[in-house]
Amino acid sequence: MTDPKQGITEAEAIEQAKQGHEAAFEALYHLHKRRVYSLCLRMVSNPVQAEDLAQEAFLQLFRKISTFRGESAFSTWLHRMTVNVVLMQLRKKGLPVVSLEETLEADDEAPRKEFGAKDLRLTGAIDRLQLQRAIDRLPPGYRTIFVLHDVEGFEHNEIAQMVGCSVGNSKSQLHKARLKLRGYLKFMRAEKAKTG
Amino acid sequence: MTCSEVERVLPEMLDGAPGGGLNADFESHVRGCPGCSDLVSELKLISIEARQLAARDEPAPRVWVRIATELRAEGLIREPEPQSAPTRPMLVSTFSRWRWSAWWLAPVAAALLAAGSYVVSHTPAPQVAKQQAPATSVTATAAETPSASTPTQARQQMAPKSGTPRDMTATAVATAVEAAPSAEDQQFLSAVSTLVPSMRATYESELQAVNADIRESQAYLDRNPGDGEARQHLMDAYQQKALLYQIALDRIQ
Repeated sequence: MTDPKQGITEAEAIEQAKQGHEAAFEALYHLHKRRVYSLCLRMVSNPVQAEDLAQEAFLQLFRKISTFRGESAFSTWLHRMTVNVVLMQLRKKGLPVVSLEETLEADDEAPRKEFGAKDLRLTGAIDRLQLQRAIDRLPPGYRTIFVLHDVEGFEHNEIAQMVGCSVGNSKSQLHKARLKLRGYLKFMRAEKAKTG
Repeated sequence: MTCSEVERVLPEMLDGAPGGGLNADFESHVRGCPGCSDLVSELKLISIEARQLAARDEPAPRVWVRIATELRAEGLIREPEPQSAPTRPMLVSTFSRWRWSAWWLAPVAAALLAAGSYVVSHTPAPQVAKQQAPATSVTATAAETPSASTPTQARQQMAPKSGTPRDMTATAVATAVEAAPSAEDQQFLSAVSTLVPSMRATYESELQAVNADIRESQAYLDRNPGDGEARQHLMDAYQQKALLYQIALDRIQ
C-alpha cells in the first residue's frame, strides 16, 4: 500500500515511524484515518466521541509501532486495536457490547409484522444517510455486531473473540440487527411518503 | 419448506448457504413466495449497502493536529534536523510570503461559520440568492466578523450575526458549496502550497473532503428541506471547513 500524497509505501512509512519521523506517522494516519474514524463513528454514533476514539486508537498504534514485526497486516492490527478501544469505551460507559435483548425478546422481529405493503419494498439503492441513521437507532449490542460484520467485514469467529460471545450469538444478533434495520428503513420510507 | 422454516434457516443462508438439499428447498420456496423473496432480497440489500459505509467518513483535521501534538509531547516524534545554511534565505522568504498571504484566512473562516449558521436557520435557496449579490460579498461579510483563534472560539462564533445582509450570507453559502474551487479555496491552496509537501497534501485532501461533504449534505438537504438532522450535518461540515482554515492560519503564522 502506498500513500500517494507522500510517495512512500506503507512498509517504508512503518520503518520511518519507528525512527520518529513525523511525515511517516502522518502518512500512516492518512492511509487509515477514514476507515478508523468511520468504524468508531458507526459504533458510537457520535462524531465527537468518534474523533476521540480514533485519536486514541492511532495513539495506541503509534506508541506500539516499534513492536510491529509485520507478521500480520498492519491494517488488520490497527483495526483490531480500534475495535478494542471502542469496546473498552462502551464497557466503561456500561453499554452492552452484546445485546441483552436476545434473552428478553421473544420473536420480536417477525419479518412480516412491519410495514409489509408492496409499495414500501426496499428496492434499488438505499440512501446512505438513511441507512446510517437506521444503524444509529440500533441498540448498542446489535449495532456492534452489525458494524463489525456487515460494514467492516469481520468474520463471526473474529467478532466472537473480540466481543466475548459465541459464534452462534454473533450470527443470531446480526440477523436480528438486519431485521431491525429493515423495519427502520421501511418506517422512514413510509414517513417520507406521508410528508413528501 | 414453509415460510417459518425459511425464517429459521435464513441467517445461515444469508451468510453462506450450507449446501445440500436445504439450499435447493430454500431457493425453491423463495422463488415462489413473494413475502420471503422480498425479505431475502431486502436483507441482502441492507448488507451490501452497509459495506459502502466503511471508510466513508473523514475525521476533522483537528484529529491529526491533536495526535501530532501528543506524539511530540511524548517524544515519539523527533524534531527535524536543523536546515542547512544555504536554504535559510529561502525559508525567511517563504515565511514572509506566508504572513503576507495568510491574512485572509481568519475572516474567511468566520464567513464560513456565518454561512453555515445561515443554512441552519433558513431553508437554503442558494441559486436564487446567488443572483442577488456580487461574488465579492464573502470577503465583505468576513471582514466584519472577528477572527477566532481557537476551535472553541470558532464554535462560539457560529451564532448567526445580527444585521448580516441575508443575500450576502446566502452568497457565501452558494459559493462554498460549488464543486469547482471557490476563490477563497484557491487562495487557501495557494497559501498552503508553501508548506512542506506532506503538510500541503494534508490540507489539500482535507479541503477536498470537507467540500465533498458540504456538497453531498447540501444536495440531500435540497431534496429534504425539512430534515433537521441533515441541516445539522451540513452545519457541522461548514464548521469543519472553518476549523480547517483556522488551523492553517495557526500553522502559517
